[in-house]
Amino acid sequence: MLPTLLAAAALPLLQNGLFVGAILFSLGMVGILTRRNLIVMFLSAELMLQGISVSLVAWSRYHGDFGGQVLVIFVLSVAACEAAVALVFVLQAFTRTGRLDAAAWQSLREASLPRSVDHEIPAFDGAMPSFPRLTQAGHSPATDEAAASQRDHV
Amino acid sequence: MSPSQLLILVPLLPLLAALVTVIAGRRLGSRAHLPAIFGIAAAAIVAVSLVITTARSSGGGENPRPVDMVTTLWEWATVADAYEPEAGSPAAVPGTAIGADAHAARPLSIAVALRLDPLTATMLVIITGVGLLVAVYSIGYMHDDPGYPRFFALVAMFVFSMSMLVAASNFLLVYVFWEAVGACSYLLIGFWFCKPEAARAAKKAFLVNRVGDFGLAIGVFLLWLTYGTLDFHDTLSPDGTILPGILGQTRLADVSGYVGGLVGTAICLLLLLAACGKSAQLPLHVWLPDAMEGPTPASALIHAATMVTAGIYLIARCAPLYMACPGALVMVSIIGTTTALVAALIGTVQNDLKRVLAYSTISQLGYMFASLGTGTLLGFTAAIFHLLTHAFFKALLFLGAGSVMHSMGGVIDMRRFGGLRKLMPITAATFLVGSLALAGIAPFAGFFSKDEILASLHSKGWPDAHHAATGEHHALLPTPGLTGQTIHDVGYRGVSAQSDHALSSSAATGLDALNQPFVWQLLFWMALITAGLTAFYTFRAVFMTFTGPLRVPEEAGHHAHESPPVMTLPLLILAVPATLAGLALFSTESLSHFLAATPSFTAPSVLETATPAVFHWDLAIQGTLAAALGIVLAAVGHLGRRSDGPQMERWLGPFRPFLEHRMFIDQLYVGLIVKPLEAIAFLAAMFDRAFIDGIVRGVAWLPVATGAVVRRLQSGLVQRYALAGVIGVLAIIVILAWRL
Repeated sequence: MLPTLLAAAALPLLQNGLFVGAILFSLGMVGILTRRNLIVMFLSAELMLQGISVSLVAWSRYHGDFGGQVLVIFVLSVAACEAAVALVFVLQAFTRTGRLDAAAWQSLREASLPRSVDHEIPAFDGAMPSFPRLTQAGHSPATDEAAASQRDHV
Repeated sequence: MSPSQLLILVPLLPLLAALVTVIAGRRLGSRAHLPAIFGIAAAAIVAVSLVITTARSSGGGENPRPVDMVTTLWEWATVADAYEPEAGSPAAVPGTAIGADAHAARPLSIAVALRLDPLTATMLVIITGVGLLVAVYSIGYMHDDPGYPRFFALVAMFVFSMSMLVAASNFLLVYVFWEAVGACSYLLIGFWFCKPEAARAAKKAFLVNRVGDFGLAIGVFLLWLTYGTLDFHDTLSPDGTILPGILGQTRLADVSGYVGGLVGTAICLLLLLAACGKSAQLPLHVWLPDAMEGPTPASALIHAATMVTAGIYLIARCAPLYMACPGALVMVSIIGTTTALVAALIGTVQNDLKRVLAYSTISQLGYMFASLGTGTLLGFTAAIFHLLTHAFFKALLFLGAGSVMHSMGGVIDMRRFGGLRKLMPITAATFLVGSLALAGIAPFAGFFSKDEILASLHSKGWPDAHHAATGEHHALLPTPGLTGQTIHDVGYRGVSAQSDHALSSSAATGLDALNQPFVWQLLFWMALITAGLTAFYTFRAVFMTFTGPLRVPEEAGHHAHESPPVMTLPLLILAVPATLAGLALFSTESLSHFLAATPSFTAPSVLETATPAVFHWDLAIQGTLAAALGIVLAAVGHLGRRSDGPQMERWLGPFRPFLEHRMFIDQLYVGLIVKPLEAIAFLAAMFDRAFIDGIVRGVAWLPVATGAVVRRLQSGLVQRYALAGVIGVLAIIVILAWRL
């Protein structure tokens, strides 16, 4: 009874599921390829995992076979563990360099290749605009330049 | 112990001595000569006892029985059914003795077998006897040399190899020890390997000998293909059939047991090439004069008395093979006589005492070859006789020269010393004895053996003078029992066969055509001239060294006195056989009767040439006159005050530089062989470096070049790697989609 009912609605459901899964996967992939923040890259990887999981669930439902959903549970639990491990790595990477930029870790490149750098900020030419000067209202606190550019605690 | 067991001791004791010296030589220090001396001395005693045993069992007298005792130690290699004789091939004969399955396949079995026969026993006595005296002499000569133990190990090793060479009963074994004596010779010539000349001379000797060894190797292959065995002796297969060996009784008894024609001549010429290499005959003689760079005792032992006689031994051993190929025999004589004359001519202008003796050795070996080439029983025994006497007097002369060299502080140029008879009387007297023997003056050893050689050549040149009945000379084919009755035949059976049914092969016919009386007459005259030249250069050396005012080079230092007793004693001992051996052996004819019992000489083809031993007064007078003329000329040029330099050589005019440069033979070889080979080697090296190395380097360069491109992808940026992964996955998907 139930299988035939389900079967009638199954195909669009599968298509929708696969569609959503593909979108999630592609978003994750694009994120991995384009973003340089380690945490965002990690999130993107999770996104790809979830995309695969959605399509697994869709197929599982379509076939009436729970094996796929069991596998998804596995994926989720493995992803949770992996998240813990990966975040430890990210944390360690940050404490080494003080940065979350993936491009900071390029010392494994070929020795003869130049270090790849971000786009230079175009040099500013022309007169500095004059800004209004305000009256000094006390001592400004001493700022740590490194701390100002990156947060040292997350 | 049976004689064949005793025979094993002769090589075994020197081998043990060599091993002991190698292992414990450094510990023995200045006593390192003891194992070699005792080993070789024991071997010499055994060798003498073997001669007595052999002489007894041959019966002695006019009609000796063939003596042939073979001991097989172990089978070195066996290949079953290696050779299948064709019907009618010489491997299938001889006749009835072989049994029913004459055409059955036979094994190739290389047995380590030693043989005892008169020829071997004679050679063993020479090797161990001279070896012992040289070893004793070396105690004095080589003292405080840093390589003292090495020298004695090598001498013992050499005595082992040489006795195995003459005792081996298998052509492959002969080849092995042929190489072994060559290796010992190489090591001893290059004994002072820090000296560049010595190292070069050793290399030269080794390389020139390789040419001869090549001939021996090919000759052995041909023998195997022709006769289907390499054994000298007959072997009994388990089913009771006799496999006739190449020089075994079965084949020897058979009249048609040996191959003539093209194949036979090729075998004989290849063996002759081998003999020429080892015995320093004309095309390959260049190594021997240079070999004098080695220590003088080694020169005396190896390059005068024993190793260089290996070629004589080989040809004498293969006498029946040669008897089937008259052309090859004539070549032996022609090469021998030419070598004798050429070496004697070069020897007349040498100023280095050892070089004079070296050329004299080449010349005397040439005599032996000339005698072997006559192909008569007289010729073969005369060659061995001369080998025996020559071993004694040439070892004596070399050791005397070594004694001079020792006291002159290593100077050997005869122009720089003189009048040494006052300084070293024993050396002078014994050297004079050796010189008289070498020159062939009446009671001394060389006279009798040289006379026999001249007689054997003379009998070929003027057969009528020796034998009245030439007309019936191939009427009889005697059986071995008929030895005593003189068969009036000095022609070859091969020649008479040739006139009956002309030989098909043109090469053999071409060589056989040389077997003419006038060729032999020419060879006889050449030999006679050589006798005169021999006396001249020998006494030139004697006069330059020992007469005239006393002159000593400054290098001599405190050495300038008579050598110690350990060196003069061997000289005195050797002087005895150098004086008496000839007379004793000739007058009793004991050596020729003894040798006639050698299986090789009991072949019908050899036996039918037997002649009664006669002392030829006319030849003796001619030979003595030639020698006397030589001595007188030497005395005119070099006796007394004129002993200090090249007096005679002024008369030679333009020939002098020609002879002094050794007839430019070395230069000829350099121009014809060494330089072209060097050019080819240079081209090959260029090809190797440019082309072959280029390919290898190209292969090595390929990954480098690929890497130079691909390494740019390794940017260290995670995103790029991820991109590469994504592209790869996409590519796989595209390919899979395509395939599906």
